[in-house]
Amino acid sequence: MPEPEYGPEQELGPKIADALQTKAHTARGLQARGLAQVARKRVRRRRQTLIAGSAAVVVALSIGGVWGAIGGPSPVSTSADSSSAGGAGDADSKEAAPSLPGPACPEQHPILTAGSHEAVPAGVGLDVELPVYGLQACRYRLLAGDTMLLGAATFNATTAQQVVDAIKVLPERNPTLPVFKCTPDTARPSEAIVLRFDTRLGIREIWVGYDGCSSAGFFTGSRTFGLYAAPLKLFMTGTVRPTGGTYLDHLKGW
Amino acid sequence: MEAALAAAEAHTGAIDFELWVTEKSDALLRFAYILTGDVTLAEDAVQDALTTACARWGRVSRADDPEAYVKRMVVNAHISWWRRFRRREAPAAEPTRTAPASPDGTAARADAEAVWALCATLPDRQRAAVVLRFYEELSYAEIGVLLHCAEATARSHVHRALGVLKNTLSREGAEDA
Repeated sequence: MPEPEYGPEQELGPKIADALQTKAHTARGLQARGLAQVARKRVRRRRQTLIAGSAAVVVALSIGGVWGAIGGPSPVSTSADSSSAGGAGDADSKEAAPSLPGPACPEQHPILTAGSHEAVPAGVGLDVELPVYGLQACRYRLLAGDTMLLGAATFNATTAQQVVDAIKVLPERNPTLPVFKCTPDTARPSEAIVLRFDTRLGIREIWVGYDGCSSAGFFTGSRTFGLYAAPLKLFMTGTVRPTGGTYLDHLKGW
Repeated sequence: MEAALAAAEAHTGAIDFELWVTEKSDALLRFAYILTGDVTLAEDAVQDALTTACARWGRVSRADDPEAYVKRMVVNAHISWWRRFRRREAPAAEPTRTAPASPDGTAARADAEAVWALCATLPDRQRAAVVLRFYEELSYAEIGVLLHCAEATARSHVHRALGVLKNTLSREGAEDA
């Protein structure tokens, strides 16, 4: 028994322990038979479901592949076909991103209509203190009337956590980046990246702004972190690596 | 040959799991009952935990203490229900002692009943923290890990529960006197 720490614990601890032990040993109606068999059955069923699901995914991917082959190139490129993407020339110098299977980046994402990479909707932004279990980086073109998903890459839990750890220590602004004066219509960035993290609360996002001329950095909706190279180089690989950007052009080492 | 070895190994694993469950199911069910306060919930939590354990029995059986490992799974199963069904923590506004104090020699047993009844009125997390502290005899750091919260939060759960229990018991004691 751990040492009781203060008065009420000393006073009530033994009484509670005694009550719980008594109840545990006098509990009626607990059914212990068949637990192992049911567990085995459930595991077998789960595995069958998993296999059936995997088979369905394989079939869907095969159909998608055939469709892609006969239907022409898709405008959406992923890290798997980075050689066909613009700006992928630099990818050769980067390590291949560890990838995991996961849902694709949504082609229709709120950032496409938000008008700014700062406008992360309430409840969507990542709490940077939350543990993360995976990351999907989605790069979007934001030009009015010509929005689209430009690229996607998936990262494992280790890289995802490294990205968050690299972001959460950053100051609100990178003072080495220039401050631009521009009109609202030219302030709009031509592209941005959405980092979608797997958390125990579901998908939570950080929007990354590196283009346009109004702001740059990592935005969670409630907090802003300055744009620095350290986190960028962890996920800007393959088709998620832009060729440049208003602020990126003034940043070294990404 | 390799297939035969694999089959033999799988067969051995199966026997181990079955035997282990036969041996430990009572303890697991009792723990789950104390944790959930309900026979059906206890059986469901243990079944969920054993299903998870069965799927990775190789790793579980190699753990230092497989029983503690599976108990952790029981806690997780219980917590996941909190999340899945959004079971709201709804403490009784005014905890009441349901077992009357007995003036004769059964006072100790009546006290135990009273404590149990009061525990049932605690919010789920406070109750889980109390069970892990006083039934499983875990440290606050270990409780924090199990309940996915900070050590200080685990401590706070237990201390709040103790405060409620102490107030109620002393109030009832005064009324009895």
